[in-house]
Amino acid sequence: MTQATTQRWLGLARIAAATALAAVVGAGQADAQSGQPIRIGSTLALTGPLAATSQVHKIAGEIYVEQLNKSGGLLGRPVEWVLKDDQSKPDLARTLYEQLITADKVDLLMGPYATGAILSAMSVAQRYNKVLVHHTFGIPSMAKYEMHFPAWALGPTPEATFPNQLFDALAASPKPPKTIAIVTSKFPSVHFLSVGARDVAKKRGLQEVLWLEWEFGNRDFGPIAARVKDAKPDALWIGAIGLEGVMLLEAAKKIDYEPPVHFHLYPAPGPTAKAPEAKNALAATIFEQHAPFTNNPVAANFVKEFNDRAAKAGLPDNSVEVQAAASYTAWQILTAAVNGTKSLDDKAMGAWLKANRVDAIIGKLRFDGPSNYGDDLMKIKQLQDGKWNVVWPKEYAAPGASLKTP
Amino acid sequence: MPIRAKIAAFLGAAAAFALLPLFQPPAFYESLLYLVFFWVALATSWAILSGFSGYFSFGHGAFYGAGVYTTAAVASRFDIPLVLTWLASGLVASLLGIAIGAVIFRLRRLRGELFALLTLAVTFVIATIVLNTRIDGGPGVFLSGVKLPDIFGRQSSTIYLLGVVIAFASLATAWFVQYSRLGRGLFAISDDEDVAEVMGVPTYRYKLMALGLSCFLAGVAGGIHAVFVTYVTISETFSVVVPVSVVLMSVLGGARHWLGPALGAAFITLLNYAFVGGEWAVIGRAIIGAILILVILFLPHGIAGFVAQRWRRLRPAAVSEPPASSGARPPIAAPTAVPKPAQGGVLLRCEDVQLAFRGVRALAGVTLDVRQGEILGIVGPNGSGKSTLVNAISGYYRPDAGRILFGGTNLVTLPAHRIAELGLARTYQIPRPCQRLTVTENVALAGMFGAAALDRPAALSEARHWLDFVGLGERAASLPAQLNLHQRKFLELARALASRPRLVMLDEVLSGLTPTEIAGAVALIREIRQQGATVIFIEHNMRAVLELTERLVVLNYGQVIAEGLPRDVVRQPDVIKAYLGTAHV
Amino acid sequence: MPSATLLGQSILSGLFIGGLYALMGLGLSLAWGYLKLINLAHLAFAFLAAYVTYQFVGYAGLSPPVALLIVVPAFFLLGVALQALYTRFAVGEFASLLVTFGIAVIVESLIQYFWTADFRKLQIEHGTASLRIGTLFVPVIEALMLLVAAALSLATWAWLRFTYLGKAMRASAENPEIAAAFGIDPRRLALLMSGIGTAYAGVAGVFIALTSTLFPAQIFAWVGVVFAVVILGGLGNPLGVLAAGLAIGVSESVTMAVTEPTWAPLVAFTLLILVLILRPGRI
Repeated sequence: MTQATTQRWLGLARIAAATALAAVVGAGQADAQSGQPIRIGSTLALTGPLAATSQVHKIAGEIYVEQLNKSGGLLGRPVEWVLKDDQSKPDLARTLYEQLITADKVDLLMGPYATGAILSAMSVAQRYNKVLVHHTFGIPSMAKYEMHFPAWALGPTPEATFPNQLFDALAASPKPPKTIAIVTSKFPSVHFLSVGARDVAKKRGLQEVLWLEWEFGNRDFGPIAARVKDAKPDALWIGAIGLEGVMLLEAAKKIDYEPPVHFHLYPAPGPTAKAPEAKNALAATIFEQHAPFTNNPVAANFVKEFNDRAAKAGLPDNSVEVQAAASYTAWQILTAAVNGTKSLDDKAMGAWLKANRVDAIIGKLRFDGPSNYGDDLMKIKQLQDGKWNVVWPKEYAAPGASLKTP
Repeated sequence: MPIRAKIAAFLGAAAAFALLPLFQPPAFYESLLYLVFFWVALATSWAILSGFSGYFSFGHGAFYGAGVYTTAAVASRFDIPLVLTWLASGLVASLLGIAIGAVIFRLRRLRGELFALLTLAVTFVIATIVLNTRIDGGPGVFLSGVKLPDIFGRQSSTIYLLGVVIAFASLATAWFVQYSRLGRGLFAISDDEDVAEVMGVPTYRYKLMALGLSCFLAGVAGGIHAVFVTYVTISETFSVVVPVSVVLMSVLGGARHWLGPALGAAFITLLNYAFVGGEWAVIGRAIIGAILILVILFLPHGIAGFVAQRWRRLRPAAVSEPPASSGARPPIAAPTAVPKPAQGGVLLRCEDVQLAFRGVRALAGVTLDVRQGEILGIVGPNGSGKSTLVNAISGYYRPDAGRILFGGTNLVTLPAHRIAELGLARTYQIPRPCQRLTVTENVALAGMFGAAALDRPAALSEARHWLDFVGLGERAASLPAQLNLHQRKFLELARALASRPRLVMLDEVLSGLTPTEIAGAVALIREIRQQGATVIFIEHNMRAVLELTERLVVLNYGQVIAEGLPRDVVRQPDVIKAYLGTAHV
Repeated sequence: MPSATLLGQSILSGLFIGGLYALMGLGLSLAWGYLKLINLAHLAFAFLAAYVTYQFVGYAGLSPPVALLIVVPAFFLLGVALQALYTRFAVGEFASLLVTFGIAVIVESLIQYFWTADFRKLQIEHGTASLRIGTLFVPVIEALMLLVAAALSLATWAWLRFTYLGKAMRASAENPEIAAAFGIDPRRLALLMSGIGTAYAGVAGVFIALTSTLFPAQIFAWVGVVFAVVILGGLGNPLGVLAAGLAIGVSESVTMAVTEPTWAPLVAFTLLILVLILRPGRI
């Protein structure tokens, strides 16, 4: 058993003891805090299919709230994070946000994880005129509420800006691709980007040799890999989320095929980094734990903390990338608004955020564009020697790293 | 509780829930209760087909999903009142269900787990279609522009009230169905579909009706839920969560009672909600699992089953027959309702009836007449085609050739339930009562269908009459399994009689009975004839045959080899050879 | 039109995934057919076995065959113990849905508790090795998995058909009293059957660990297709499960080769529906 696993056993015993204790003591301790904490409510998908990523957000949030309280809290008051488990169900997320607002009467909201839950939370926030800052919302065009603030800076039209970024990077490489295969999962926050990539490729004169869609949850990538192999593209766009990209590459490897240049939309960073087939994979990111990102001391500090905690929590991958960084950024946005307005008033905070820039670990954020989106801060990273390095734009590239093409 | 009080209590509960928003509770309570009501509606609607008729559907997600996407597709494109889109949701789901059922239900073999498989496969197919067409196409449908009116001044109250409406509508439907003719038919189907059909239950139509109702309610619930979640995606909508949850909820609550699934739904929804604290999430899930296990281990028949058991134990009097209804009543009209016919006319005529199974000729051209008012004996060695003939006449088998005329109507092309309605009834050699219905319910069922077609109260008193008649009055509240063979045979008899048949086919009623019991049975059969019914009496017991019958037909190898007065027939050499040569030597 | 190589490669791919379906469904089918137990926990056990294998091979440094030798008997015992519980409480067909669902939920939480919800992938040497036959490539581990699935199906079929115990098992499924006439206690038979079925989940788990990336929520992602395979194959019919698994796997993968992969479920399950409606028997 690994150390982490041993700790789990101890933890289980502790929880059993705590349960027994809680049963004895009862719930009579709710008001026992001093100094009237500011309560920030949110849900995360702590159980169910989305739990893998949610635990990253949980650790990031815990780190932030702890740091905040150590440095004196907000407006001189301690901060308490009221976190609930939406079980990966958007309908439950809606109910829980209503509970947070109308029954728990939290002061501020923080977004949940994943597009569906965020949209649920957004509609609740809208009904109660609450500011909603959220970490990783994937479809900007669907965010219609004037007081939502995305930490994940995709810009208002990632379906155009984002493929352009990638194709710019590829065009600057020694051997720019002439043909491209675009294969994609029909996962909502992925599919529209792949469709956009198709348009952009066409406009830029990249010849599309294959376009394929599969159902999210597809189990058999053999035939898809075989079709990509048959199409012989110079570059492969894999509109995949989570493991799909690795599954496709493994299937390709098994039929003795390695795509020359392959870009993955939202790969699960840990398992992808460990898969030998994923060598030189390209992916999108807003933050990686290397310079220049870690030149910001706040970011460096967070990276260190997160690495530690994630290892302790037994996560196989402890590095900070998109999810953790966006999560931390969301908390930075929320605190910036409180500190900027010196109040907990949602209207004031919303107005302040629209008028000001927020300095976060992923960069300077603005919310004055369409649907409160600012710039597309996405960058291109590449898996080099088992590590994710940003390679484009060049000013964000990891020290010494540059795009490698076969 | 008398029925009026029950209805009042039901309406009272609905009204109390509907008035809750007046007290302006935090919106969250409305939202949580909405979720409870949403699951109540889904589980209850599932049970209308699957719980009552035993056709376990694993495809409720398909019909729910059809409702979700109908509302999503309509409301995101057109500006029409939401109520209409919800109705459309219900109709689309219902039509979809009926179209699928119209194919599946025609096939007798697609029962049990094969039905579950088909409905599951339908879910995959529909999800794929929605995913690949403009209904969704992949990105999901976001209903941001859809605005609900604010009832009591709040959105959450509106959605809550919608939950109340669909949940109570589902409950009312299930309740009504359970005690209606439809529900009785469905319960009979769940115990023994073939018997139900032969008793006169239009099984095909009833299954379709139940599926249509079930899908309609699920569709409307889906339409409402689409507005609740506002963002609708394929993977959420058609996930395994809906079909698995409704099954679990119904089983936990008790799927054979209209209120059972609702209890299960409320229990599981609130249980799931009990562990949403961030610190406890993972352990909370395990605790939920453990609670589910414990509950079902100690309540194997579900919550409703447990309550019913307790109820019976607390009030034993409620189970036995209310004395007022049986004693003082004047004799039932049944005997007189069957007019005593002038003996002699042909009631049933078989003309060259042929039936083969995989090449084996079970009926090789049977021609015989049954005259009005007689007791016709049919004998023959084992395998001579007697039971097959009964099955052919009652419509369970369709003959390959020949005609069966009953009062001038050709039965060959009719479904079994139509034949029963014309006034034919039968008993089974090995009794086939509906195992999960009480003795009274079994007999009343026959009275509600078949030629009698009584309403439920009348059928119940008819049932009591015939139970008294065959001497089972004291066992009225028992389940068939609690009866001995003799009693079960008599239950068969009572059931056949309660449908007020013109022709009763008794298939070896006497086999397995003691001599005393046989004597009683013979007297009964005479009595039946006295009351005006015609009887086909199939029997091995020659003594009883000779004692009872006026004419005798001998079958061998699917053919009539002799016909005539009993005493004459048994002396014919062919008959002796067929009988003694095969059966007794 | 796809090339012959593409088509051939896709059919192979379908056979392999079909073999996995069969491997996952085998124990489920036996329990449902012979014990009247609809075991929603079966896939949870398969994934539990996969995680255990992951732990043994990835951290304790055991080789996969050794892991198999540990996992299989352990899961056999687990199956026996659970069956004892089901018998003790007289769990019926429908109650078993709830009990096993509860167990599945508990197993899922335990997995998440010990291994977190994050993805786990066992990296073994030559994990993606393939044999080349003509223009086709045959991945070694998948081929082995298919062979094991076929071998277990055949062996189970032969066991049920030709051995004394197997015949007693079949008789007992139809009528426990008849089994008693074989001089065999149906309860002990049930324990054996449950042990075997759960051990098969263990075998499936080892191959899942070798071929896929693990995360807890997968348990319920497979329920639909595996149940379809089990029912289509005929409850308690090991060869049927194999045939059904391969049929669904191949029809999906061939669809993916010739048209948009998103249509794959439609083709596979429409075929299934048509087979059920048009054919008198099952596969």
